[in-house]
Amino acid sequence: MDDLTREFLIESQEGLDRMERCLTELEVKPSDTGLLAEIFRTVHTIKGTTGFLGFKRLEKLAHSGENLLGLLREGKLSADGPVITGLLQLQDGLRSILRSIETEASEGEDTDAVLIERLEELQVPAVAAQWGRGRAGQWAGTAEMDAHAAKAESDAAAAELGTGQEAAVPMAAEPVAKEKQGSDGQRLDEKDGREQERKDKDRGAGPGKAKSVQASAAVESTLRVDVTLLNRMMNLVGELVLTRNQVLQATSGQPNLTMLSRRLDMVTSDLRESVMKARMQPVSNIFSKMPRIVRDLSQSLGKRVRLEMEGQETELDKSLLEAIKDPLTHAVRNSLDHGIEDPDVREASGKDPEGTLKLRAVQEGSHVIIEVADDGAGIAVDKVRAKAIERGLISHERADRLGERELLQLIFVPGFSTAAAVTNVSGRGVGMDVVRTNVERIGGKVEIDSKPGKGTTLRLRIPLTLAIIPALIVHSVEQSFAVPQGALLELVHVAPEQAASAIEWIEGAPLYRLRGKLLPLVFLDRLLMPDGKHRPVTERDNFIAVLNADGRRFGLVVDGLADPEEIVVKPLSAVLKSIGVYSGATVLGNAELALILDPGAIAVKAGVTLSSEEGRSPADEEECDELAGKNMDYLLVESAERKAAVPLADVLRIEQLKVSRIEYIGYRPVLNFEGQLLPVEDSGGVLAAVQHDPEAQIIVVVCREGNRQVGIAVSHVLDVAGGGDLFEAGTSKQAAGVTLLKNRVTGVVDLGGVAPLPVEEQAGNGWRQIAEVTR
Amino acid sequence: MSAAGSGLSRREKAVEMQGETQVEMCSVRVGPGLYGVPITHILEIVGKARPQPVPLAPGFVGGLVHYRGDVLTTVSLRQLLGMPPREGLQDILVLENSSGTIGLLVDSVGEVLTASLSAYEPNPSIMDERRRALFAGAYKLKDSLLVMLDPENLDPMRLSGRAAA
Repeated sequence: MDDLTREFLIESQEGLDRMERCLTELEVKPSDTGLLAEIFRTVHTIKGTTGFLGFKRLEKLAHSGENLLGLLREGKLSADGPVITGLLQLQDGLRSILRSIETEASEGEDTDAVLIERLEELQVPAVAAQWGRGRAGQWAGTAEMDAHAAKAESDAAAAELGTGQEAAVPMAAEPVAKEKQGSDGQRLDEKDGREQERKDKDRGAGPGKAKSVQASAAVESTLRVDVTLLNRMMNLVGELVLTRNQVLQATSGQPNLTMLSRRLDMVTSDLRESVMKARMQPVSNIFSKMPRIVRDLSQSLGKRVRLEMEGQETELDKSLLEAIKDPLTHAVRNSLDHGIEDPDVREASGKDPEGTLKLRAVQEGSHVIIEVADDGAGIAVDKVRAKAIERGLISHERADRLGERELLQLIFVPGFSTAAAVTNVSGRGVGMDVVRTNVERIGGKVEIDSKPGKGTTLRLRIPLTLAIIPALIVHSVEQSFAVPQGALLELVHVAPEQAASAIEWIEGAPLYRLRGKLLPLVFLDRLLMPDGKHRPVTERDNFIAVLNADGRRFGLVVDGLADPEEIVVKPLSAVLKSIGVYSGATVLGNAELALILDPGAIAVKAGVTLSSEEGRSPADEEECDELAGKNMDYLLVESAERKAAVPLADVLRIEQLKVSRIEYIGYRPVLNFEGQLLPVEDSGGVLAAVQHDPEAQIIVVVCREGNRQVGIAVSHVLDVAGGGDLFEAGTSKQAAGVTLLKNRVTGVVDLGGVAPLPVEEQAGNGWRQIAEVTR
Repeated sequence: MSAAGSGLSRREKAVEMQGETQVEMCSVRVGPGLYGVPITHILEIVGKARPQPVPLAPGFVGGLVHYRGDVLTTVSLRQLLGMPPREGLQDILVLENSSGTIGLLVDSVGEVLTASLSAYEPNPSIMDERRRALFAGAYKLKDSLLVMLDPENLDPMRLSGRAAA
């Protein structure tokens, strides 16, 4: 039996268990739509998955049940006794087929005609009532089914004695799949194969005999561990990290404890990484299931679809990975059925007849984003509006007030579907609702973007709870808050005396002019304490954290900044999560609790809209890049009274530090920065000027140069300005090494000219270790 | 006694069935009042804590405290009873109910009292709706009344649901 079937069996069993509970509850509360939706989902999921696996009997039975449930959900039928009995029989029927698949690797003889007929009869209310009186026949049906199940079980015992038979059916389909997919698919399948092999090893017993010899050796090097134990370990390690942070702060002034606390620091970091790693699995574990699903589905729909997958190595916590498998499958199915058009339609509208479905996983700060993007027809907002009104999901008046983006969100409402016809694959409006329910259950978010004619992108944002994330600690309303570094673009300081002119107001909305563009500002204190007294911007330091929350760019104004810190994300109770500003809490190194701000939620709460840049297609962006090439932004710095420009795109960080942090290899000044050794360029003589005073502060601009990083020592960072190209008089040759900044010719620092360190390789490694100790 | 049983939790009933007539509860003081929490629900008492306030949180949320590796949401009994908040250190009763762990912020935690079941009285009918949902009757002590709190009803999610309603 292949992995897919095995998992399907386990999931379906669980689903049926749930369905049974819901059915009995439904009998008591016949009008509970939540229960009905849950039951419908179970049957729908079973039916959907059987389609791929080719279990026709199961599909047929589930389909008839789904029809009945559909009527119930639309309120055309009421869930009275006979209907519940019928549904329970359906559940028994499905269970017996599953049992047969599990033991015999086949669905067994089709004896469902009676049951299907009954389910169809039940769809007519009057007949249902009549049928309820004739209970005798119904029990006979159950008995018959039980007898069948018993037979299946006894047959199973025999089947187990025979070898390999159970693997034969699903295996046969595989080679065909490999041939049909292009070279791209081939690679994926190979990867899939390797994955499979690895998994078999883990399990210690592969299906084939050849593998079992190999596996017996592997079994000793791997161990199955209970996930709850891992959870417990993760929690304890989190505790240890907090304790370590506190120990480090407490012992920082005591030289005799320094070595000990450094050792503690190092061991803790290693331990934390190991435990985290133990829980992580690459998303390829679920991505690898997709090629087959896409292939089978596109064939049955008569569509041509190319599947592209990206970021398979992105790792996600195991429990989260499990949780998103279902939603992802639903999303893929939806894209194929509703998104990508038939080949002839695509050709007619000037597109490649072969549609593209892109699956992309990427880690973005404290989230893993999984995108399902198709280049299909997109979602027609008008249709969504019309359908929502028709189904009574929203009123006319409300629909008129909703924006395009908000209307799109309606597709997540249970019972919504724009498909003209209910097909076998989808169209009953369950998919998107399942996607959202499952993703939100693990604290994630689902977003949808759609352009008519261009395609639809579904974005699943999965949080890395349990995770430890880098965050910037900020102060406001006399408390500390953590801002995830992933959302942070840059920091701007506006001194009280500059605030009056630098912060502009349009109708009470504060704005800051950041390199010529207006950036909406959100004052954290005003957001958190709407009724409190706030000091005007001209009487305090304003620190603007420029954040990018899923395309919403805004500046969060806080009263003060502290150091960045690695924080352990602790979940918040439901009541605090529902405030919608915090994503969690953490304990800082000084044992203070800090709430973790959710930049996306703050943007929404403050009404920051999506930045216009987001809507641009890649082609537009390329165009912009070309333009930007001619008009690059530069960081204007001053070193020893001379102005110089550094290309802004290369600047990674600006660090203010004591001159004593600069160390020397021979005569070369170097800086150990976040565990990396940087050569420091000091052509301006900034270091030499302050060398006698170890406490003096200098500024090092950390830049990217090719694959390495270099630091440039400067005395001041002045500004950021767009540079203009200069042409040598009389020629069209571009002058190298200079640019026009603020109408003055300014020299550009030649990053490539910074000589590499003589012993960079060795020194770098050695230093990295020492740096880890000091961190 | 059978009439008194209606206001008791399941665990207390079990004690009753074993023939015991004594109930143990931890007494807490908030303002001038004395309240009781069944000891079967108490995980731990954290003394002298300073919860971190949570801006924008509902009024009854007393703030957050670090408790055994987790961040615990506390419910302020003062706020629930409509008393003004108190500055400074407060005691926290860590309670467990069917929906999880919560901290109950009180002025101070007193001793464990034992009362006879026969001293139990259900909530008086003249009590206002809000308090009736919070309290689970009272025990008549020698010189005062010990008002029992129902840990199930102290769940923040429920409280916020009531506040909204």
